[in-house]
Amino acid sequence: MTTVTTANDREIHRERIVNAPRDHVWRAFTEPELIAQWWGRGHKLDIERLELYRGGHWRYVEHAPSGPQGFEGRFREVTPQDRIVRSFEWDGMPAHVAIETVEFEDLGDGRTKIISMLILHTTEERDGMYNAGMEAGMNAAYAALDRVLAAMA
Amino acid sequence: MVQYSTALDATFLAVADPTRRGILERLGKGATSITDLAQSFEMTLTGARKHVAVLERAGMVTTEKIGRVRTCRLGSNRLDSAASWIAIYQQMLDERLDHLEKFLKRTTNHSR
Repeated sequence: MTTVTTANDREIHRERIVNAPRDHVWRAFTEPELIAQWWGRGHKLDIERLELYRGGHWRYVEHAPSGPQGFEGRFREVTPQDRIVRSFEWDGMPAHVAIETVEFEDLGDGRTKIISMLILHTTEERDGMYNAGMEAGMNAAYAALDRVLAAMA
Repeated sequence: MVQYSTALDATFLAVADPTRRGILERLGKGATSITDLAQSFEMTLTGARKHVAVLERAGMVTTEKIGRVRTCRLGSNRLDSAASWIAIYQQMLDERLDHLEKFLKRTTNHSR
């Protein structure tokens, strides 16, 4: 069962109820040998990195018929049985970063609700961020660099 | 699985190759001819045509022949546009959930 809700044009929201206990679903998302059996969408999957803690890296390579496709990011939150939040980047669109949140809800009857959310950061937003303060930050960083270089001379 | 993966696979195939990613980048700056692409990427005309054909199938490039020159420009499937990005990630997410469901069905039945 899937429910599709589009909150806005940069958010993907999916809910699905599966006939499996929550512990089983959690393991399917966090144990490399289990992830490899479904995450690749039917293609061979290499789990190159899976550091399952806040700040840890993950990188999976899916071997699609057209060639290998890498996906990677860093974990923002790992709450066992409950919630995973991580950044999500595809090699095909480098530096287009999405934030993925997956929540697991125990329905108490051997079923689990999986709530999956992807928030994409569009070019416009990146530009907005740049205008809104990154420039000031960059200028401060360059000023600091100037001081370091001056001290070296 | 194969039937609904086709559009996504065409996109994957298109960006799997560094030369094709380079061509997309080049076309992002403006339209150009196949001959120019062949020269800039130091390859034969046949090679350039093949790469452009793959990009064309994925909807990422369109071509138009005017006289003896075939001009290439970016198509409607723009990877850098938010709409394409969302469509691609949506399809990937749905396919993953489908496969997860099948996997859980398989393994949960076994363990009971």
